[in-house]
Amino acid sequence: MDHQATGEVLKNLLTVAWLLPLAGFVAEIYWLRWSNRLSKSSALCAVACIGIGFLCSASALVYWGCHTDWAVLKAEEHAEHHDAEVHDHHGEAASAHADPADATAAVDAAHEPLVNGAGHQHAADDHKHDEHKESHANAGKAYSGTFYKLAQFGKLSLSLDWYIDSLTLMMFTMVTFIATCIHLFAIGYMKDELTEEYEDHQVHTSHGHFSRPGRFHRFFSYLSLFCFSMLGLVLAGNIFQVFIFWELVGISSYLLIGFYIERKSASNAANKAFIMNRVGDFGFLIGLMILWTWCGTFQFDNTEAGPGLFTMIRGTDGVMKVSDDGTQVFLQDAHGHRLENDGKPSSIGYLLLVAAGLGVFAGCIGKSAQFPLQTWLPDAMEGPTPVSALVHSATMVAAGVYLAARFYPVFVPEVLLVIAYIGCITLFVAATIALVATDIKRVLAYSTISQLGYMMLAIGVGGWGAGLFHLITHAFFKSLMFLCSGSVIAGCHHVQEMPRMGGLRRKMPITAYTMLIGVIAISGLAIPVLNIGFSGFYSKDAIVASALAYSELNPVHILLFITPLVTAGITAFYMFRLWFLTFYGEPRDQHVYDHCHESPRVMTTPLIALSILAATCAWGWFLTSGAGEEGPLYRMIAFSETVPATEQVKSRGPAQITLPSHQGHHSDVHKVHGQAGMLALLAAFAGSAFAYVIYGARVINPNDIRRQFPQAYDFLVDKWRFDVLYEAMFVQPVHIVSAWCAGFDKKVLDVILHASASITLVVSKWDRLFDENMVDGLVNMVGNTTRSVGYSLKVVQTGRLRQYVMWIAVGVVVLFGLLFTSLPK
Amino acid sequence: MGEVGLEAYLFVGAVLFVCGVVCMATKRNGIGVLMGVELVLNGANVNFVAFSRYTPLGLDGQATALFVVVLAAAEAAVALAIALNYYNNHLTIDVDRGNELQG
Amino acid sequence: MFSSEFLLTAIVFLPAVWSLGLLAFDSQNKESMRYWTVLGTALTFVLTLQLWGSFDPALATMQHKFSVPWIPTWNVNFTLGVDGISLPLVVLTGLVSLLAAIASWSIDKHVKGYLILFLILETGMMGVFLSLDFFLFYVFWEVMLLPMYFLIGVWGGPRREYAAIKFFLYTLAGGVLMLIAMLMFYFNGGMSFDLLELANIAAGKGKVASFSETLQLAAFIMLFIGFAIKLPSFPFHTWLPDAHVEAPTPISMILAGVLLKMGGYGIIRIAMPLCPYGAQYCAYFLVALGVFSIIYGAFAAMAQTDFKRLVAYSSVSHMGYVLLGLAVWRIQDGKTFNADYWAMGINAAMFQMIAHGISSTGMFFMVGVLYDRVHHRDLNKFGGIAQLMPEYSGLAAVIFFAGLGLPGLCGFVGEIFSVLSCWNFDPLLAIIAASGVILTAGYILWTMQRVYLGPEYKGPHPEGIIPFLPRERLVAYTLVILAVVLGVFPNVLFKPMDKSISGLVQSMSHTYDAHHGAAATVQTTQVTQ
Repeated sequence: MDHQATGEVLKNLLTVAWLLPLAGFVAEIYWLRWSNRLSKSSALCAVACIGIGFLCSASALVYWGCHTDWAVLKAEEHAEHHDAEVHDHHGEAASAHADPADATAAVDAAHEPLVNGAGHQHAADDHKHDEHKESHANAGKAYSGTFYKLAQFGKLSLSLDWYIDSLTLMMFTMVTFIATCIHLFAIGYMKDELTEEYEDHQVHTSHGHFSRPGRFHRFFSYLSLFCFSMLGLVLAGNIFQVFIFWELVGISSYLLIGFYIERKSASNAANKAFIMNRVGDFGFLIGLMILWTWCGTFQFDNTEAGPGLFTMIRGTDGVMKVSDDGTQVFLQDAHGHRLENDGKPSSIGYLLLVAAGLGVFAGCIGKSAQFPLQTWLPDAMEGPTPVSALVHSATMVAAGVYLAARFYPVFVPEVLLVIAYIGCITLFVAATIALVATDIKRVLAYSTISQLGYMMLAIGVGGWGAGLFHLITHAFFKSLMFLCSGSVIAGCHHVQEMPRMGGLRRKMPITAYTMLIGVIAISGLAIPVLNIGFSGFYSKDAIVASALAYSELNPVHILLFITPLVTAGITAFYMFRLWFLTFYGEPRDQHVYDHCHESPRVMTTPLIALSILAATCAWGWFLTSGAGEEGPLYRMIAFSETVPATEQVKSRGPAQITLPSHQGHHSDVHKVHGQAGMLALLAAFAGSAFAYVIYGARVINPNDIRRQFPQAYDFLVDKWRFDVLYEAMFVQPVHIVSAWCAGFDKKVLDVILHASASITLVVSKWDRLFDENMVDGLVNMVGNTTRSVGYSLKVVQTGRLRQYVMWIAVGVVVLFGLLFTSLPK
Repeated sequence: MGEVGLEAYLFVGAVLFVCGVVCMATKRNGIGVLMGVELVLNGANVNFVAFSRYTPLGLDGQATALFVVVLAAAEAAVALAIALNYYNNHLTIDVDRGNELQG
Repeated sequence: MFSSEFLLTAIVFLPAVWSLGLLAFDSQNKESMRYWTVLGTALTFVLTLQLWGSFDPALATMQHKFSVPWIPTWNVNFTLGVDGISLPLVVLTGLVSLLAAIASWSIDKHVKGYLILFLILETGMMGVFLSLDFFLFYVFWEVMLLPMYFLIGVWGGPRREYAAIKFFLYTLAGGVLMLIAMLMFYFNGGMSFDLLELANIAAGKGKVASFSETLQLAAFIMLFIGFAIKLPSFPFHTWLPDAHVEAPTPISMILAGVLLKMGGYGIIRIAMPLCPYGAQYCAYFLVALGVFSIIYGAFAAMAQTDFKRLVAYSSVSHMGYVLLGLAVWRIQDGKTFNADYWAMGINAAMFQMIAHGISSTGMFFMVGVLYDRVHHRDLNKFGGIAQLMPEYSGLAAVIFFAGLGLPGLCGFVGEIFSVLSCWNFDPLLAIIAASGVILTAGYILWTMQRVYLGPEYKGPHPEGIIPFLPRERLVAYTLVILAVVLGVFPNVLFKPMDKSISGLVQSMSHTYDAHHGAAATVQTTQVTQ
């Protein structure tokens, strides 16, 4: 099995998983043509599509594991540490060893760079060391190829590609698994829609409550469309294609947020989500333009036509070639040489590269609801809860993080610094708002924003693997918690306010305890000393450790460590607050409590499945032997790290950043790991204990605290007043300018036009006057004179014959007389 | 009896002409007017013939006279027809009654 | 299958000849006259498809070209031909005419006259796209103008006379400028109207000397104004909202779908090849104007309350991308720099024209469908249409998303590619153009919210809202499917266009670099010295 063939198999499996939901979407949107409104068959179709997709993704993951040379990574680690504790408990890797022939082939493949045959030539070069690094950098890890060409202009080419590495596979498996769970959950959650007459109590029309036919099939068709777009985004092999699916997930999210199209609040939220995303996409587009102009390609990976973006910027060894004055970055080809253009080395300005990185990251800001574009996500909770669980917690919003990670090689340290600070601000702002939110879904939404901030922070401080690790673990526990909240909302008949709940754990135990697993996971609680906890503990640990290592190397940026640490405590506090308010204590609204019930099995089964993964996904094969960063999940992700850092990397740009090394047991990150973990755990315990004191044991009345700080409370309840600010800063001005433009057309352009028309009219009026008075006057004068002469002569015409004769006679006589008198003789 | 000179013919012609003109001018009867016209024409004829005889004009004058005779006949025919029509319209042939052509 | 002469002549004149057949019908027999017209436009469309089928995308030259002397005294020839630039537009014209004919059932007044003018209009449009003789081009240009005037002025809305006159005068003014430019070329180009010959002369390869720089500049400006009026570009666009608002639905479809494209086509086919120097001289101005139109149109659209006016302003905005893409011709050191990006820009501009032909036609059609039912277009009085007409609303959403530039639909490719090609030309303009994506999303989503979403329809004539008719469904599905196909497989369109466009780009850059660029460099060096 050579590299290409493996890639083909993976591609085929993932393509099936990718395209099935699209087929599902087309079928489901016309479901009423061959079924009725009361049938659940559309949901089954959707579940089948995504379920098969999950099977394909999972088998692709296994297949990849079997055909990947784990030895490369392992050998290096062994070489570095001779550390027997690096266990290879990875079943898939083990099975790779079971087939030595395969493994050897894989080694060969690993040494063969992606441009066919080029590797061998290069191997003939003298740099053995380089080759080693190269294989480390990207060879053998990614499979890529082209589906079909979109356009070709001279040397410029755009196509739909695929790019498969362990990150792609992890994302595929995670997305399809969670989506399958959520599809199943939604069958139960959306069953109200299985009716001819759905009454919506939130909408009032001129004749009472609003009622409409149920839209069960449409919900599932949108979900399928979303799954298609999301998977396409993950599979994309070039940044342009990412942008395409980026927009498509945006529109799916628009459709799903605005699913209750009759609710004004829902359609407003949908518009807000899409437009704020477009603001981010505006930046994304600028990034695309810069890369397109200076690099001439969008490809991630090398192709036959030339090197891909990653190789251009980072070369084969993961190191940027910056000019001596730090203003230019030289582009490199697949052999580690500089690209040339007309004899001059191709390069891109360092600042341009910063701008490109920030532009692409602006897209991530929009999609992942980071500061300052975070306000759309809480409003997006207008959508049905399964949507919030799938789109707005686990997958789409994480796509921003995914892209930041995928595009990591192109980011220079200055961009990473911005990413880190954006993440840092976001995680703090969102967490503080979550402290005072009372809508159960909004608390979760702010918590999502905050956790995404953590991931961004991790990527920004160089903790590539840590950020993605958190992405995966967060996807499990956050979608779990959203589904739990959905279960609560469904059980309480669409009550979402936590102050009206309380004590629900007695009525809905499965929901309550699966939720508790999620809460513990996100808070990062663990058993001290043993360091055994749920997934969130490990991933947050990794992030805090990266941040600590970073701030130790760059003491100026100490905030990047303190803020997440403090926020870890806040997170624990507000998550336990949510759990205590909802499930613990005494019911505060007896009516809600009395009518509340546990959800049916179709809804609780996904909860249980997700809670198992939320708890265990970061563990090793045996709990004792390596969890967290030594566990299979992290190792799989880290396997794809495009810019590995076994040593510290110093930036040559203006910001003078030093990125910590984070691979191996002597890395900066590993050194501070224990310390960071302790601090984070301490913060988490403090936060949880505080929450118990206030909301669990009710020793302190939260209202007292609120009264102590009324202004701070109002400020937080108003969500730091971002909405007000944006309304004043952007929405109003846009309306004003648009009114100006429309007015300009009417008042200026048209007026000029009309004025010229009027001038023409005036001129033609003069023309008419001249015509009428002068020209016509002359002509008329001639006519009038003739006529008056005629009138005066007509008296002669008497009509009397005899008179005429007389005149003739007289005339003759006169003529003769004249003749005789005047003619000369 | 001496040779009759040109003047005599011209005198007769003039008398005829004047009679004719006076007749045309005074007669109210349409037929009378016609008769006056005949007199005028024939007065002219006399002159033509006379000039033809006494001047080097030659036969041209006589030929013209013949034409005038024919013309007079034709004129008489047309004029009589007009007179008839006139009578039909006015139940008289008094030319003074017909002043429709007055300006 | 057919000879070139027959095929091209038939495409041009079949509709006009077909309209003679209408004379045989009884004026009261409206239904059969409509069917007759649909049949005629369908036949024309089939012929255009045949043209596409017999077109060889590997050639950059004119295909099916033939020439017959028409007015030998003045060296005017009846020259027709097709290349990758005109081919998509010809097919688009055939398609839009067919769809507009199908949408013409809503016309009930003087049907015979309407249909005859309609068919003559189609002949005019086809002639403009196929003629290769400047004089012939001009004749067809004017031929198309008159039926349009009557179609708006007789079958239009309440202010139809105003709109028709405005349209007529605007276009006529442009036509006059074009006439002057045409005569300038005629007398300086060896008494020839042949566009290819004139382009050769401009490229310095003709029998007479190339046009002087002053002439090129003057002619380019005149031609540009003439075509910019049609495009329409700010500040020559104010006829468009009025004409669209007053024109009946099918005429709006044609106006947006085909007539606007003539502006862009004229620039590519005539203004640029005949005056490369002028085009390069004005490039920055053109791009800036395009960018300004994008932003301006989007802002103006946002402030509209009339549905059709909004769509009309969206056309101004979308056609800005065409202008932008056409002109991204960057000169560095007296030489064309990165010509591939310019080729991409022109390709994108052409694609945008076709895409806009589909999305904008669709948008006007969708507005028309609503107007036929409720007889008003006030955006503030709509709402809840999606509850009443779900299928219609779904299809309308797809079309509006195509206008919004959603990937997977046709609008995306043209917009994004032209913007991508722009950074190479000028980063600042590129950034401003890119910001259009936000505004476009803003006004389209807001419109959709006001019209389609919401619980109930509260405006006038709620009883008039009937489900989608099969005839309307046919038009809507055709447009939606085309929007999707072009969005997913843009190469379908790029393939036939690319060779012709890269040929154009090459010849123009060679001309410029050889004749004007070098001179410019010499001048600059002198100045520096």
